Amino acid sequence: MISADRTTLPDAGEPRRYEFPPVAAETLPNGVHLWTIGRPRAELVTVLLLLRHGSAADPPQRAGLAALTGDLLDEGSRERSGVELHEAVQRIGGACATTVTSDATVVSLTVLARFARQAIAHVVEVVARPRFDPDDVDRVRGLRLNRLAQMRTVAGAVADRAFLSAVYGSHPYAHPPIGTAPSLEAAGADDVAAFHARHFGCAGWTMIVVGSNPTRLRALAADELAALAGRDAGEPAPAAPAAPADPAPSPRRLVLVPRPGAVQSEIRLGHLGAARTSPDYPALLVLNMVLGGQFVSRINLNLREEKGYTYGARTVLDLRRGRGPFLLRAAVETSATADALREAAAEIAAIGGDRPVTAEELAGARAALTRGFALRFETAGQLGAAAMRLALFGLPADDYTTFVPRIAAVDADAVHAAASRHLHPERLLAVVVGAPERMPPSLGDAGFGQPVEQ
Amino acid sequence: MSAALPYTKRTLENGLDVIVHEEHACPVVAINLWYHVGSKNERPGRTGYAHLFEHLMFEGSAHHDRGYFRPLEEAGGALNGSTSSDRTNYWATVPPEAVERALWLESDRMGYLLPALTAAKLDTQRDVVLNERRQNYENRPYGLAMMALAAAHFPASHPYHWPTIGMPADLRAVRLGDMREFFATYYHPGNASLAIAGDIATDRALALAARYFGEIPSGPPPPPVVVPADGAVPPPPSLYLEDRVELARVYLTWRTAALFEEGDAELDLLAEVLAGGLSSRLRRALVRDRRLATDVSAWQDSRELAGLFVISATVAPAAGPSDVEAVVTDELARLTEDGPSPDELTRVVRCMERAVAGSLERVGGFGGRSDQLNRYNVLAGSPGYLAADLARYRRADRRGVRAAAARLTAERRVALSVVPPGSRAAALAGAQPAGVS
Repeated sequence: MISADRTTLPDAGEPRRYEFPPVAAETLPNGVHLWTIGRPRAELVTVLLLLRHGSAADPPQRAGLAALTGDLLDEGSRERSGVELHEAVQRIGGACATTVTSDATVVSLTVLARFARQAIAHVVEVVARPRFDPDDVDRVRGLRLNRLAQMRTVAGAVADRAFLSAVYGSHPYAHPPIGTAPSLEAAGADDVAAFHARHFGCAGWTMIVVGSNPTRLRALAADELAALAGRDAGEPAPAAPAAPADPAPSPRRLVLVPRPGAVQSEIRLGHLGAARTSPDYPALLVLNMVLGGQFVSRINLNLREEKGYTYGARTVLDLRRGRGPFLLRAAVETSATADALREAAAEIAAIGGDRPVTAEELAGARAALTRGFALRFETAGQLGAAAMRLALFGLPADDYTTFVPRIAAVDADAVHAAASRHLHPERLLAVVVGAPERMPPSLGDAGFGQPVEQ
Repeated sequence: MSAALPYTKRTLENGLDVIVHEEHACPVVAINLWYHVGSKNERPGRTGYAHLFEHLMFEGSAHHDRGYFRPLEEAGGALNGSTSSDRTNYWATVPPEAVERALWLESDRMGYLLPALTAAKLDTQRDVVLNERRQNYENRPYGLAMMALAAAHFPASHPYHWPTIGMPADLRAVRLGDMREFFATYYHPGNASLAIAGDIATDRALALAARYFGEIPSGPPPPPVVVPADGAVPPPPSLYLEDRVELARVYLTWRTAALFEEGDAELDLLAEVLAGGLSSRLRRALVRDRRLATDVSAWQDSRELAGLFVISATVAPAAGPSDVEAVVTDELARLTEDGPSPDELTRVVRCMERAVAGSLERVGGFGGRSDQLNRYNVLAGSPGYLAADLARYRRADRRGVRAAAARLTAERRVALSVVPPGSRAAALAGAQPAGVS
């Protein structure tokens, strides 16, 4: 038997080129953008419909309206009741979901491949012809209000909300898509119908269909979409909303949300970040990998593997159409709250300061991003979501194909420049959701001034 | 869907099962390793070992005495592990160039972990696990509910009595010697199953598996799991637990068939008829029509030794838990009488087929092809059990689901109400405090 040589770890090979599959893109006469993508031997078909507006388009005093509207799409169409729609989707083995983020509303439906035609028709029906019965609006709004109430007991959700609110103030990104209780209570069926009329015209749609037979899928979708006319087509193409302007920067501060008796503190630490279209995009990804974006990042190794303060800590670059947040998320043992904040803030300062990325870290981060890039495009759903991001952010068609060489070209100078431009240790906002009575008095000495209770 | 998951299986001389599934659609190879050990192999007073061990497996082995994440993340791989009451799994999904690196590492921690295991590693990972417990159970709304129900259904010496994450006092008491003994008993080729799936030729995968794992000696067969007879004292029928929650939630639960046992598939379908999707019976009755609950779910949690059937509903602010209980009882009675309609059955089976096809779209990760091949190999005795597994659902008829509902309702039921602090009145009548830590 040949035994293994255990003196050295086998090589990991060179990064390979990744080519995103061809996207057959066309614009139909009624303005719908239709993209089809092949995924060989897929047993499932994924249908995605992208609308380029989300919770950032919520009108004043109506935070949560976009998400409420999205939730109501499949609660009844002009032809069928909500129950009939749900039964029909189950009959084709489907799972239909509407996701509303700050910049987008995405309806997705994945079905067994033989039901592709029904799936496309279903998505068109719920997006173009929703019923918005006042009784359904009332019921679904009530459920969302209850979910809001429940989220008040989820420490992580409380921390995220407090963080967004403190970073963004009155900016459209300041509220999570679900909105607030007063604004949801004020939203009625008229608001929902008006929001739909304003934003859901078919000339603003991008439909993406992924499956094993793209030619057939294209024909099926074009057939179904071409029939959209008159009232069903909706208002003329709404312009994609401009990316929101940046909120004003502010100095370091610490917001404390008391959660008496909690055995851990949920902490958030960060500030305004970058937009997806930032020219620093490749360097930012490499920077984030080294700092806190993966298991072997500086912050996770420090807080988890060295100190055992937490089950895990990650930094997130939430890249949006406008500048999204940059933040660290971690749940730490209550007694370690101040130490964890201090350590994490020091790591954020050091990477743009006296401990820039090393050659080894740089090579590791680039390798992690490029060598495994193809793993992100394995399923029909992953391919569809990737194409959706191209459409949402207006990225070039070859964005994924050029990804590997662009990352490979990121050098230490580029990472350092990105850190100087995008990390601001002097402006860090810290949010702590935890038990003040269990926290050591040193919280005020963590370097963020005295905590402001919320 | 086609229900085809072709594979080649070889058993090495040391007892390691090697399963290869070749699929070249995407330049990805999945390595997936199951050890047939979980919290059911622990003992009272020594709980949480299997899961704590899972953590230690990422901390280094004799020939790579450093973290396991860096060499695989740098190779473009994704990796993780998980522990349940029945088994522990470890996986890495890597580009084809990095297969040897992944197998080298996976085999090194099977064959050569103990020389690198230190008290310092144990201390840090113990803290990490205690923090995992705080994050996912203690500080999470309703996070202790399933622990309380397991403790109520299974007597103190039953292997499903304690939670997989372990009891904090046991975790604090673990010594290095305990971990060494645990490793020697359960972590050897004869108690493991390796699946390699994706963009790799079968012959090469088999040769690499033999090269890296063939030299590792087998260990003695692990001691059998002892399942005690149920105690003389039946579980209390109704419990409550105060938790930091905004709305009360009611859990109605029954002991049921174990995994793959007769009736198990029918209970899966029953759960879907009751609460799968917005057109299911309880979603319609409780959430849509009568607005007594804000959400409802049902599932058959079937494991090697036993199953639990769970219906849980969050009680709407204006409603009471007994209103919710009454609607559930009515629907179960109706299903016991008539079974599901032919259309309901068609719907839930199609959704199940789509869900299976969805999880098999990927070669790696939790629930991907490599994980399923190992699951069938370890728990059903053959990696080729997929077709038979799906056939259980396709064969199920209305009468079978009706019978499952009837058997369920004849069993002893344990109810748990999770209520806001100081709101015992929000629990079902007669509830006693649940024991959980």
